[in-house]
Amino acid sequence: MNPVYQEKYQKERGKPFPIGPQNVGFAQASAEALCKLPTTARPVVNAQDTKVPDGYTVEAVMAGISLPNDLTFAPDGTLFVLEGGSSWPTRPYMPARIIRQRPSGEVDAIQMDIEGGPRGIAYRDGELYISIKGGYFTRIVKYNLETGQLTTLIDQLPNGGWHEPGGPVFGPDGLMYFGQGSVSQQGVVLPQGFMVDMAKHPTAHDVPGQDITLTGHNYWSHDPLAPFPYLVETGGFKPFKTPAQAGEVVPGQRFCSSGVWRSKPDGTDVELLAWGVRNPFGMAINEGGALYVSDNDLEEYGHRAVAQDPDRIWHIKNASQPFGSVQTPDWYGFPDICADGLPVDHPSHVPIKGEAAKPILKDPPPWAGPAAYLEKPHSAMAKMAFCPSDAFGFKGDLFACEWGTMAPLNTPRQEALTHGFKVIRLNVETGQAEDFFTNQSPGPASALKNGGLERPVACQFSPDGRSLYVLDFGVAVIKNGTLLAYAHTGVLWKITKTA
Amino acid sequence: MTDSTQNPVVLVELDEANWNRFLDRAARWFDNLLVVQSSYRQLLEDTAGKIAEFHIRAYLQEMAEQAKAHEQQIDRLYHIIGRDPSTIRQGLGTLLGKADQVVGDLMAASSGLAGPWQDLHQLYLSCTNTLSAFGVAEQLGLALGLPEIIDITFPVQLDKGRDQRLLQEFALEMAGLSILYRQAF
Repeated sequence: MNPVYQEKYQKERGKPFPIGPQNVGFAQASAEALCKLPTTARPVVNAQDTKVPDGYTVEAVMAGISLPNDLTFAPDGTLFVLEGGSSWPTRPYMPARIIRQRPSGEVDAIQMDIEGGPRGIAYRDGELYISIKGGYFTRIVKYNLETGQLTTLIDQLPNGGWHEPGGPVFGPDGLMYFGQGSVSQQGVVLPQGFMVDMAKHPTAHDVPGQDITLTGHNYWSHDPLAPFPYLVETGGFKPFKTPAQAGEVVPGQRFCSSGVWRSKPDGTDVELLAWGVRNPFGMAINEGGALYVSDNDLEEYGHRAVAQDPDRIWHIKNASQPFGSVQTPDWYGFPDICADGLPVDHPSHVPIKGEAAKPILKDPPPWAGPAAYLEKPHSAMAKMAFCPSDAFGFKGDLFACEWGTMAPLNTPRQEALTHGFKVIRLNVETGQAEDFFTNQSPGPASALKNGGLERPVACQFSPDGRSLYVLDFGVAVIKNGTLLAYAHTGVLWKITKTA
Repeated sequence: MTDSTQNPVVLVELDEANWNRFLDRAARWFDNLLVVQSSYRQLLEDTAGKIAEFHIRAYLQEMAEQAKAHEQQIDRLYHIIGRDPSTIRQGLGTLLGKADQVVGDLMAASSGLAGPWQDLHQLYLSCTNTLSAFGVAEQLGLALGLPEIIDITFPVQLDKGRDQRLLQEFALEMAGLSILYRQAF
């Protein structure tokens, strides 16, 4: 970490940031208002353009949301929708806030002044637990809805790079579960993500969850922060421009990247359950206490490219062990093993775009796979929820959002262009899944030129168990070789069983 | 089965009053953008006329043509949000005169150098200013869910990114000649 930043961080880390209720321009409107929205990126929202199984109905209940990431409910039915501030990509930078809709219909917002933005939210006993990305570390904080007090629970999860926090979620054991994705996109900090990461966090790097030995395979790249394009060499688990040595041992840390943890609700007694999970953005626990985590595939481009790595859902088996008893975290493969269990340099994973990846770890830990579910590459699996009630049907099944591909940015394969953009229903015991909420044709509404589903990012069941709420991130398109996300285009969909 | 809702929908900042407030504020930024871009275009034209070296002069003249086109694109930005640029255009002459004065003051304070190097250096800074101003306009388009704005600002920024590098290069190439040798070019 840069020394000046480190000094300031140590001074500031315990201090709360500004957060509190704020008036925002909300309006109740009739459904006709959705036919002519002022956002030309998404001028129409129309449930008729979507598809759910027979016996269910879908309606849009909120529109104009900006870059949302998550939602949660209080037991009384109060709804909290999290707007991520700066998310994917980092701009536009919108207010980071929580839209609150009370059972009476009254709406207000809780706004926070924080670099980066919130990514996950959970309600528990009158407090909101929030994961926040920004700076060199991800934080977990809690906000008391009655007193307005903000408390930092966790502030040491290595970040400053590409991937996201996961959770927090609470299990039936009352413990808090959370995650943090990898700092690097592909196992090595290289100039293939948004360059702002390198400018903001020039010394960020991945941290292993166990002692590892490096192969010394390094990667040459240009330095986008230098005035002249001379090449620099970078190794895995190293800051940019720092090569690794063959046989070098990197000590494992409890607060690693690509990790999944649990702790008491006050953030104490943190226990590392797993690492090597590239992007554990979606986390869900069923009634039996089994923890499942969604994860995204390695990309097929750049200096360490990997082809056809499936998206996946992992069963984090260590979550079933007694609290405090996990001595060795399980390893789920990042940065060297694909979700199908094959190494990144296997012939089936040789890229047609980019430089083929080589292993970073010498004698890696045992792989904790296989995955509970494999999905098509670049589906961008996101947040998930277990169905808690027969009132909706499919009790115990896992409903998983698929944000949708970033192709052709991250793969040249044409078939990837329509992967994702839907919600699936998965039986975690059998591994069988089927589409539950989709458009009438594959792909996002903006490509289909209709009013349907865009990019599902999170889902939650209402406290009465009758409805599934699906949070739609809004329009994010790949154009001119970059990702453009449009604020005020997010939608909240409500799916209810009718028969 | 799908169905359109009959229940009320919550609109977040999309109601007419709120949206118009956003658009009015965006229009005020476009005013800034127009002033900055017009000032840059005028400085380009003036500086090109002061430079004797053929290659640099030709590059600047080409940039000036492009700057005119970029300036015209700003009118389209106003139209996208249903606003009229005529008021700010009427006051543009006065504003540009003030901008010139600022440039002149800066030059007077900087070492009494002869020749067009100071103009060139000022041009580099002015180009950076316009690049930033178009970048801000792009952020407003993204924030308001209006891709038509990005369709304009994105290619302009690509042009300006290249121009900025070129102007930086010329300003740095000619710095030694101008500052140490006090030579014009």
